[in-house]
Amino acid sequence: MGSPSLGSEDARAPIPPRHRWSDRWVALVLVVGTVALASVSALIGQNWLPPVAVFSILLHNATGGWLGSACGGVAPSAALCTIWTEVVWDARMPTILVAVLCGAALALSGGTLQGTFRNPLCDPFLLGLSSGAAMAVSVLFTFEIALANQATVLPVVAFLGALVPGLVVYAAARRTVRGPEALVLTGVAMSALFSAVLATFLLLNPSGSVQVSFWLLGNLQGETWERVGILAAVLLVGGTVLALYGRELNVLQLGPEVAESVGVGAQRTTRRLVLLSTVVTAVAVAFTGVIGFVGLVSPHVVRLMVGPDYRRVLPLAALFGGFFLLVAADLAQEIIPQVFLPVGIPTSFAGVPFFLYLLYRRRPTPG
Amino acid sequence: MTDTTPPALRVDDLTVRYGERPALRSVSLRVARGEVVALAGPNGSGKSTLLRSVASRLVATEGSVRVAGETLDAMGPVERARRISWMPQEEPPGDDVSLRDYVEYGRYAHTSRWVPPSPSDRALVDWAVHEVDLDGLADRGVLELSGGERQRARLARTLAQDTPVMLLDEPTAHLDVGHQLDILERVRRFAVQRSRAVLLAVHDLNLAARYADRVIVLSHGRLRAEGSPDAVLSSELLAEVWGILAELRRDPVHGIPYLIPRLAPAESGTPRRDGRPFRVHVVAGGGSGVGLLRSIVDHGWTPSAGVLPLFDTDSEAVRELGVPAAEEVPFAPIGPEALRRMDELLEGADAVVVASFPVGPSNLANLEHLLPWARRRALLLVDPPQGAWDFTAGRASAIRAELLASGAERCADVPEAVRWLERRSTTTGAAAASARE
Repeated sequence: MGSPSLGSEDARAPIPPRHRWSDRWVALVLVVGTVALASVSALIGQNWLPPVAVFSILLHNATGGWLGSACGGVAPSAALCTIWTEVVWDARMPTILVAVLCGAALALSGGTLQGTFRNPLCDPFLLGLSSGAAMAVSVLFTFEIALANQATVLPVVAFLGALVPGLVVYAAARRTVRGPEALVLTGVAMSALFSAVLATFLLLNPSGSVQVSFWLLGNLQGETWERVGILAAVLLVGGTVLALYGRELNVLQLGPEVAESVGVGAQRTTRRLVLLSTVVTAVAVAFTGVIGFVGLVSPHVVRLMVGPDYRRVLPLAALFGGFFLLVAADLAQEIIPQVFLPVGIPTSFAGVPFFLYLLYRRRPTPG
Repeated sequence: MTDTTPPALRVDDLTVRYGERPALRSVSLRVARGEVVALAGPNGSGKSTLLRSVASRLVATEGSVRVAGETLDAMGPVERARRISWMPQEEPPGDDVSLRDYVEYGRYAHTSRWVPPSPSDRALVDWAVHEVDLDGLADRGVLELSGGERQRARLARTLAQDTPVMLLDEPTAHLDVGHQLDILERVRRFAVQRSRAVLLAVHDLNLAARYADRVIVLSHGRLRAEGSPDAVLSSELLAEVWGILAELRRDPVHGIPYLIPRLAPAESGTPRRDGRPFRVHVVAGGGSGVGLLRSIVDHGWTPSAGVLPLFDTDSEAVRELGVPAAEEVPFAPIGPEALRRMDELLEGADAVVVASFPVGPSNLANLEHLLPWARRRALLLVDPPQGAWDFTAGRASAIRAELLASGAERCADVPEAVRWLERRSTTTGAAAASARE
């Protein structure tokens, strides 16, 4: 254009490099870290099994028998090898995988909700989605309703339960602008309501209460390959769709008006994203109960590493969430010997200080 | 020559209501390809409302918007975003993404989620960043930019949207003078060279006159005037719509009208002791009253002036400041009509100041006429200019002496006169004030 430069840009200090990491490296580290931790986690359990045997069982079964031998040749007998294989491959492995997938689901859901509502405090637990799903599921437990096929019915019931807070939060967000805390308070209020309903159920039928009380803090016991399959399928479909909405989420950060003006159907997009987050959350809750703060922490940690672009944040948050919940699951088993803690306890210990930090940090002032 | 192609933007009978209150009443307009149209009007006149409803950000109660003959009603957001871009006045700060990514948001409607942006998309983004003079900052986070830079980033995003119709809401807000001119220059060139229709809201009427082919004036949600800047910007319209007294001049280089606005004179300034405005009459001529009148206005007092010869420097100052004055045609002796007006003004004055000016036969009546007032009003004579000032064979000097003898005071210069007025303003009306208490 050749016109003289008018600004003071030239006089400004050289542009500092943005301290952000390559998203590919972060992804690679998270995947390798999760695989490694998952293998090591297979050692954790009530009985100590020889690591050689555990790793061979993993390798042997994961490759469909191509690699490794049944028990690495360390099992005293074939019968014991069969038992070891059952423990490692059919009990521990589903638990590990459900933890990873569930962490990924919650992180994706949390990241999506944060972006959709332009609210850094969003999390499926804090918005009441998890409690809604858990309440619906607990109805089945307290009234001891026999289910023909638990693994497929539970997620549907959980989704119906999560839909109630999902709709309330969606409606509340449309009315806004009362600051980010209002939305979270709406969610917390609904959680309180669901807790009251749950407590009522427990009084009506105390015999189901043990199972329900585990639900309230997250339970990874009794996972099966069937559940892994369902969770993986839902996550693959729902997660892929969510991750594809990164562009829309980016633009939505400028408010619905600007988003519409560049071509994003803001309302339609918001509806879809909230619905999908609800589905993904519900399936996770159906199999594991209420696990808080994974969805809050994961996207924020990822943002610190790779910046705010949702096209990167969502997939990486899913990877981080899986890793994070696996760490929490291992800690829940190992912190107190012989005691199996609900997995929601370690995530809350990590998540609550983080939540407070987000709540009280100085907001960046637009200048 | 008949042009059968529909205009780039055609708005018919657009009406918008906020609840019961109509914010826009039956506004129709056209913007052609390659044309820049400025929307002017005071705050709350409906400029933003008009832009927002044309951009489909607001649902109009009635009326229609067509781009190149197509109505927007049935279109989805992507289809609309390919036809109309809108630069809002304000937007939430958003995330700290890089400036380049931010500008790329403008390409949303032209790109797909499945395919990464093409080289031509990227080139358009780089071009838009260059157009707003932000080349060096493309990798910076948008939240690190200054207010003016962010304003330009918004414009770049709008440019990157590459639409036949562009709506810009106050594109020069937050910008320094240099960038105001620069940005509008670029918008104009963009409109002409790429035949885009630009409708922009501006507060600065001089910028509107300079960069717009046409100006549309809105007032209370209605279209009040429309036409070339020349035809539209008249003193009467400015007084009616904005409530300002403006002096319209013509840019000697471009022949473009520009205006020097003044607020209409306030009814009350810094009041007297009894709360009424302190009125000062200035007798001046040849520019001797300009500084004094300015100071009087700045103090919040209410000036009047005269008798002044029309077109002299003082007379221009009086017009600019909106000061009531008694005036006479130039180079003629002061006539009875002007003196009657002067009497009216003196009657309403709390104090009278005679500025420092040479006296000749044509303006001698100014001094003579003060003689009966010397005992009735606080009168201050600023010392006459150095050197020859009395061109009336001593008559003027004699009147001065007589005025001083009748109770008038004298001072050396304007600052001293202002200090005298400050003292007078605090004592004037004291009697009335104490009488009331």
